[in-house]
Amino acid sequence: MNGVSLIDELRRSWAITLKDMKIYYLQPPALMFGILFPVALFFTFSVGRNIPSDRLVPVLAAQTVFWSSSSIGPVAIPLERRTRTFERFLSAPLSLIAVLWGKMLAGVLFGLGITTLATAVGAIGVGIPITNPAALVIGLILSALAYSAMGILFASIPTASPGQVIIPLNFVRIPLMFVSGMFIPLERLPTLGIYAAFLSPLTHTLDLLRLGIGATSYFGWVANIAVLIAWIAVFLYVGQSFHRIIMKRE
Amino acid sequence: MTEVKAIEAEGLTKYYGDFLAVDHISFEVEQGELFGFLGPNGAGKTTTIRMLTGVSTPAEGRASIMGHDIVRESVKAKSLMGLVPDISNVYTELSAWENLVFTGQLYGIPRARREGRARALLKRFDLYDRRNDDVSEFSRGMRRRVCIAMALINDSKVVFLDEPTAGLDVKSVRGIRELVRTLNEEGLTVFLTTHNIEEASQMCDRVTIINRGRIAAIDTPERLKRAMKTSQSIEVAFKEVGLEVLGDLEALPSVNEVQKRGDKLRLLTEDPPKALKELWDFIEGRGLEPITLNTLGPSLEDAFLRLTGTEMEAEVIHRRRGRRP
Repeated sequence: MNGVSLIDELRRSWAITLKDMKIYYLQPPALMFGILFPVALFFTFSVGRNIPSDRLVPVLAAQTVFWSSSSIGPVAIPLERRTRTFERFLSAPLSLIAVLWGKMLAGVLFGLGITTLATAVGAIGVGIPITNPAALVIGLILSALAYSAMGILFASIPTASPGQVIIPLNFVRIPLMFVSGMFIPLERLPTLGIYAAFLSPLTHTLDLLRLGIGATSYFGWVANIAVLIAWIAVFLYVGQSFHRIIMKRE
Repeated sequence: MTEVKAIEAEGLTKYYGDFLAVDHISFEVEQGELFGFLGPNGAGKTTTIRMLTGVSTPAEGRASIMGHDIVRESVKAKSLMGLVPDISNVYTELSAWENLVFTGQLYGIPRARREGRARALLKRFDLYDRRNDDVSEFSRGMRRRVCIAMALINDSKVVFLDEPTAGLDVKSVRGIRELVRTLNEEGLTVFLTTHNIEEASQMCDRVTIINRGRIAAIDTPERLKRAMKTSQSIEVAFKEVGLEVLGDLEALPSVNEVQKRGDKLRLLTEDPPKALKELWDFIEGRGLEPITLNTLGPSLEDAFLRLTGTEMEAEVIHRRRGRRP
């Protein structure tokens, strides 16, 4: 890009974020996969099982941030392809990365808002104190960034239907839940499972959130933060590259 | 000093997979020109506009807006132009005001200026009283006007209009055409794609005819019409006539071809005075009662049909053997 300062790019990204918040937060697919689905999964996981409360709250928070943050991009971008409003960004004087940042931030704020509410209700409900707020906040912010970027990556699928993005995304989201210590504690996983868990960003979300309520992190906070940052970079880079490839083909 | 061209395209090419959609096209548009880009459906008009506006990346070739390359100097090029696609891509969940202000934000226009500009455009386009209503409540014509206003929020020097009147009612079509003419008279360069030949003929300073991804001709509408010498015609409508008369009319020595157009018959000829005399003798001989009788010069549609090989609107009843172009 040329001729636009970073501040100008960020201002334009923010305008996109605000516009997406107004238009897409209440869209049915965003509500379904961003709110209803994680809540339903949580109750499926917890009701009727004797699970300790210090395990329930991190699972609730991790699950919520995972699903909600990754749900806005896959709704907004295909719908904008359908109405051809996505072309407005491409013909406007701003970079593709500024557009994707704006969209990603809309997912981040959606995820953080819902997760904060869910976590507060969960923590107060079961009486779990937040002993390490820094770990909790860093964990939630990095996770929201990573999953929102993951949603943006899948939204590069050239379709005008959110369903055609959400279905392949769910093929990744659902299996990740089984290798991230969410349903099966990491201690009970086989060695191969541990390797897979280390690579999964959701494991590190859960680890950091556990630290936040005074439990221990399986892989350690340095690894948790490093892996989440690495995933943010990978999702953003690959997502941007795919969007560019699609632009060249379209 | 030579004035910089408003639009320059040089060898623009686009493939969709193996399909060659636009094939090395080159042209220039002067500043202040109303330039028509005419072609049948699937000719490559929209693909060309998408490449010129940076929405799509060309496989080969280059394009510039006011001297700025659309790929290498995209910010400068894009900040000088506006795009109105073939469908009104407005945010229907937002109000007209929000649509304009948001577009101004995308162009990095400072708040006071973008709000002043949005107000002025909404007033000019007769939308100010409805500025706070969601665009979902607007008619197609109103949405089109919002879309055009959005393309002008940045004080564009060049505006691309892709089929601006498609799907609109007659009143809206007239309003949009008048608006485009006025904007052009005020100095705005307009790149207008259309498959409406009459629209291009009435509005454009120059017309490019594109067919199967290639440029078939570039010239003024009048010069293109004059090139079609064999397309002069006489149009006649009778009070009552059977279809059998068509065969007799095509047998007149000076008539090349007879086309049925609605309730009228069009007799194509290279010599209208002679054909007119023969037609009159025919009418008197048969005791027919004509309602209207007109002689017509070659139209841009004729030029278009010859250059693209496409038959549009006209129902060709018969073409005399050996006379086809």
